[in-house]
Amino acid sequence: MAAVMPPQGGPGGADPFAPGRDRLGVRAENDAVELVELGDNTMELNMGPQHPSTHGVLRLVLELDGEVVRECRPDIGYLHTGFEKSFESHTYQQCIPLTDRMDYLAPPINNFGFSLAVEKLLGIEVPPRGQYIRVIMCELARIGSHLVWFGTHALDLGATTPFLYAWRERETILDINELVSGVRMMTSYIRVGGLMADVPEEFDAMVEQVIHTFPKFIDEYELLLTKNPIWVQRTRGLGVITPAAALAYGCSGPTLRGSGIAYDLRKAQPYSSYDHFDFDVPIGTRGDVYDRYLIRMQEMRESLRIIEQAFRNLPGGPVNTEDRKVALPPRNEINTSMESLIHHFKLVTEGFRTPRGEVYQAVESPRGELGFYLVSDGGNRPYRCKVRAPSFSNLSSLPHMCRGELIADVVAVIGSIDIVLGDVDR
Amino acid sequence: MSGAAGASARPVAGARAAQLLAARLPQAVLRREEGYGEETVVIAREHLVVAAELLRDDADGLYTMPLFVTAVDWPDREPQAPRFDIVYQLRSLHFNDTCRLVVQVTEADATVPTLERVFAGMDWHERECYDLFGIVFTGHHDLLRILLPDDWEGHPLRKDYVSFGEPVAFTHNLQWALPAQERPRDMPGASR
Repeated sequence: MAAVMPPQGGPGGADPFAPGRDRLGVRAENDAVELVELGDNTMELNMGPQHPSTHGVLRLVLELDGEVVRECRPDIGYLHTGFEKSFESHTYQQCIPLTDRMDYLAPPINNFGFSLAVEKLLGIEVPPRGQYIRVIMCELARIGSHLVWFGTHALDLGATTPFLYAWRERETILDINELVSGVRMMTSYIRVGGLMADVPEEFDAMVEQVIHTFPKFIDEYELLLTKNPIWVQRTRGLGVITPAAALAYGCSGPTLRGSGIAYDLRKAQPYSSYDHFDFDVPIGTRGDVYDRYLIRMQEMRESLRIIEQAFRNLPGGPVNTEDRKVALPPRNEINTSMESLIHHFKLVTEGFRTPRGEVYQAVESPRGELGFYLVSDGGNRPYRCKVRAPSFSNLSSLPHMCRGELIADVVAVIGSIDIVLGDVDR
Repeated sequence: MSGAAGASARPVAGARAAQLLAARLPQAVLRREEGYGEETVVIAREHLVVAAELLRDDADGLYTMPLFVTAVDWPDREPQAPRFDIVYQLRSLHFNDTCRLVVQVTEADATVPTLERVFAGMDWHERECYDLFGIVFTGHHDLLRILLPDDWEGHPLRKDYVSFGEPVAFTHNLQWALPAQERPRDMPGASR
């Protein structure tokens, strides 16, 4: 587990991150703290929050020198919802639907991170079947999220077809969500102590269909873009971030791996049986927009590998913990036992209490390290729950990536970070 | 297997940082706390920047990645103990570890030196903490609200900031839901 950092630098010892690439604009060794000296002939341009490429409600204030971006100041918070305050007035299980709405492109992974943090406080473990189904649902969500990124990123750069294809395939994943939880997007399927319910019978056929058809679909996407000269020219060498800078900004996920650092929490600190599955962590070599594109395309294939392994080896047994402190009593017991009925009522109305203490639990979301720092005062609600949102840290590196690029390329860089504003603003 | 069993098999998260600080910068360490397989180091405020630099640069630490900074508000703790815990979480990819540093500050002096020059990524996190808790990060180049509008009043994540409107008065919570003079006379808890 020690050496997760690969040797830095590109082939032949050349530094692929060196400044002075063959593009317009000069890239100085820049730092967020030192603002660039503005010349007399710069112009301030407002971009967003309604700009279609800002994916929701991101506003950028750009300092332009001709077409070259000298400085970029993101203005966020338009989607701030105060989830962290709301957590404090909801019981642990009531918090689950709130987590759905943060990173709304991968709700199961948000549920998952929060549930794992609470389970860590409670010291309970979910049975193997529950763990495997959680993995399947999360990897499906990762593919779904990457599909949205793929479609919109390509659309931002002028390729219309991928958008339609990506939406077509995402439909299958939403159908699976609907099948298991009754909801297409905000599933709240993963809960503290396990799952909402076991998967229904039709689940097998639908996952089988994903396993069989998706590799072909991803080939189709890659055929459209990966070697497309327009795409490569538009994204190669653009929005470069060095490994050291990516780390200093706290970037994670594909934004960090694009710079060549193979850090993936599913590998580094496996949770929920991820160590049972064989998969690779794709990394880039140049840290540019194109590398981040390649990584996400490859990640979809790796997710399919994980889904297939989890699905083929899906153990039997219960999906929820047996710990009656958390798990609801089974239906047949409620019908016959007064104690179970009371217990059920208490669990639903008051919830369970967690021991005092603080934990930090992180999971690998499609955007990077999604962490929950949970403080308990022994009550039935979180005393404090800080969400370490991957998009927030990733977006803070945007000015670093944009400086010296052309204004038209800002759109490509934003797309390559794959932010979800619900995740940034919370 | 992961979960509880996996956590106990792993070394205590943050123990490496705690040992490093205790060995190299003992004057900074006020207290070490362990729980749930994670170790927290309470740091003296004046040594925070040095401690962060040590953790980042020392070959035994290499905590190069800032995860977040936030605060936890314990208003009932004052005046016996400081009200705010300012919590820093860092990650070392090299040793595959996270560590947690805590600086405690009082309400009257809710300031802490900025770490944005140690970790560029702390910039936004410190602004968020200022925005939602009103903690002042001295030396920060641009300490403005980040999530809330500039003219927002108050700091919502403080415990004394009421997030909802009027509480609903039930018989069991009349004590706090209504002022004493407005409570019905025949209800328990009403002022006579």
